Amino acid sequence: MQRGGWEQVQEQCPEVHKVDLLVGLPTFNHASTVESVMNAILSGAKASFAHASILVTNADVGSQDGTPEIVKRTVGSLFPLALVNPLTEGMSANPFAPNRLSYSGMPGREEAFRSFFTIAERLQAKACVVIDAAVRSVTPEWMDLLAQPVLEKDADYVAPVFRRQRYEGTLTNNLVAPLTRALYGKRVACQTGGGYGFSGRLASLYLQKDFWEGDAARFGIDSWMTTVAVAEGFQVWQALLGTKIQDVRGTTVDVSMMLAQAVGASYHYMERYQDVWEKHAGSSPVPEVGRPIEAGIESAAIKVERMVKGFRQGLRDLLPIWEIILAPETLSGVLTLGLRDEEDFRFPLPLWVQTVYDFAVAYHEKVIHREHLLKSLTPLYLGRTASLVLETIDGGSDEVQHTIEQGCRTFEAMKPYLVERWRFQ
Amino acid sequence: MSEMWQEAMVEAFREMTRRGVLFLPKLMALATFLLLGLVVGWLVKLLLMRILKAVRFDVLSERMGLTPALGKTGMKQRVPHLIGRLSFWVVFLFFAFMGVDALDLPATANLMSTMLGFLPHVVAAIFVALLGVLLANFSSEAVLIAAVNAQIQGARLIANMVRWAVVIFTVAMVLTQLGIAKEIVVAAFSIIFGGIVLAMAIALGLGGRTIAKEALEQRLRREKTDDELTHI
Repeated sequence: MQRGGWEQVQEQCPEVHKVDLLVGLPTFNHASTVESVMNAILSGAKASFAHASILVTNADVGSQDGTPEIVKRTVGSLFPLALVNPLTEGMSANPFAPNRLSYSGMPGREEAFRSFFTIAERLQAKACVVIDAAVRSVTPEWMDLLAQPVLEKDADYVAPVFRRQRYEGTLTNNLVAPLTRALYGKRVACQTGGGYGFSGRLASLYLQKDFWEGDAARFGIDSWMTTVAVAEGFQVWQALLGTKIQDVRGTTVDVSMMLAQAVGASYHYMERYQDVWEKHAGSSPVPEVGRPIEAGIESAAIKVERMVKGFRQGLRDLLPIWEIILAPETLSGVLTLGLRDEEDFRFPLPLWVQTVYDFAVAYHEKVIHREHLLKSLTPLYLGRTASLVLETIDGGSDEVQHTIEQGCRTFEAMKPYLVERWRFQ
Repeated sequence: MSEMWQEAMVEAFREMTRRGVLFLPKLMALATFLLLGLVVGWLVKLLLMRILKAVRFDVLSERMGLTPALGKTGMKQRVPHLIGRLSFWVVFLFFAFMGVDALDLPATANLMSTMLGFLPHVVAAIFVALLGVLLANFSSEAVLIAAVNAQIQGARLIANMVRWAVVIFTVAMVLTQLGIAKEIVVAAFSIIFGGIVLAMAIALGLGGRTIAKEALEQRLRREKTDDELTHI
């Protein structure tokens, strides 16, 4: 049985025993983009790490379009290359979780990352850089930005930050990032995908068995990596990588599933790291590398009709479930929102934060089935998103950023509410 | 004549006394069994309730939707209490049947063995009913949330339909398990269930063809709309 592709690495590159830098490329039918991504990686590696020992690893999860062959041809003899199949380590689909795909949209991405962790540990890699093959905007500088903090500045984890449209990543900006910041005291953007850098030390920690329990790692590897790194107190950096242009594919992952995976991962680790987050107050910025990102790109006008409608339907139909989850004062606050007209619709930040914290407590208390609980948050999230759009409709990206920052501060300020309810519920 | 009358009277009295003497221990056995039933039943109830309390079964049943489901049927008691009472009556009836059997009456001959033979069916039926209630709640909740998130207007109606479909299916299974009007239940269930499916298929095929087509197209093509955001 293969162990995370390590045996394949040994077979294909018997001369490689130790490396400075491991480059990982998870792929699945990425023939259209993989060549340009690989070229950028190779140029970056040659330019920035000419004297370092490097192994390029392509973890392909079953491409039918010849992606591994393209990778092989592109790398040529520039660097040692290992083509591994992470799904050959005896893994099989969980029959009780049909049709479940992580919000990354790439099947087997989590297993590919696990392969990289294993290989990095076995080769005692000082640093590991993983870049998504679907991103068209990868430049050679990415290699330096993601690996250099680890190799030269003792960073353990380098998370990506991209220039985004003003309403891009609303779930991350309104919930995941503020919650992570309030809990663990680090201002990380929690953006997902694109590229990551991490140390061999952190890769070894990621491999510990108990981290893979539950759905958090299986369906949300991106937020999982960030949360574990931050909560375990590793040196976290952010790499400002510019714009992310990604080959977007049709995915069956809907908003509620996405929300359940991303928020579920955060809530899951709240239980594990209770002793860590309970004692944190306030937050501090994390070091950054790269050119400062300009203000977000103005997006087309967003229509909030459907979002408000979704919230109202939730209020009408999911009330019996929310009654179990929400604290009475939160519920009464939510109930009054349904009375407002669409143009005047506002979901106040404190109420939103209280809602997120109530859901966290209910998740912890297991008041209803956890997946139902997480999915029933969707209408409330749509309500808050609609409110964000309406609050900033006449402003630009700066105003959106300001509101998001205000949200983060509210999450921090109201943390005692969470601690109290978590302890004494 | 007088002697014969006297003899008949004495004989009847003797027979009555003999029967009474023979029956008295049986009656005492019945009383003892009833008393034992009360004591053992009470002990079992107490023990079971303690165990259920220790494993926080009331929280579990609340979480699984069993308590609210029973609440809707008018049962206001907590589930562990209900199970405790049920166990008491099962144990008491068990002893009562033993007592009745001990009377050795022709009318109640083999009552105990008959009841014991039927007991596995009752236990299985209770389990099926319990699982059915849990499954009905779980699936209707899942359907309700999914339908609301998909912004389907009749979300509650669909969820209720799912709940009742599971409940009807469970009732049919319970009755079959108990052997009550087996053939009628199976036939009625097949007719009702088949009828509903057929009616829905015809309704969708004739009346909702366009809506179904649009819904499928929207789902499969996933055209980008103005309010579509990148959430992650």
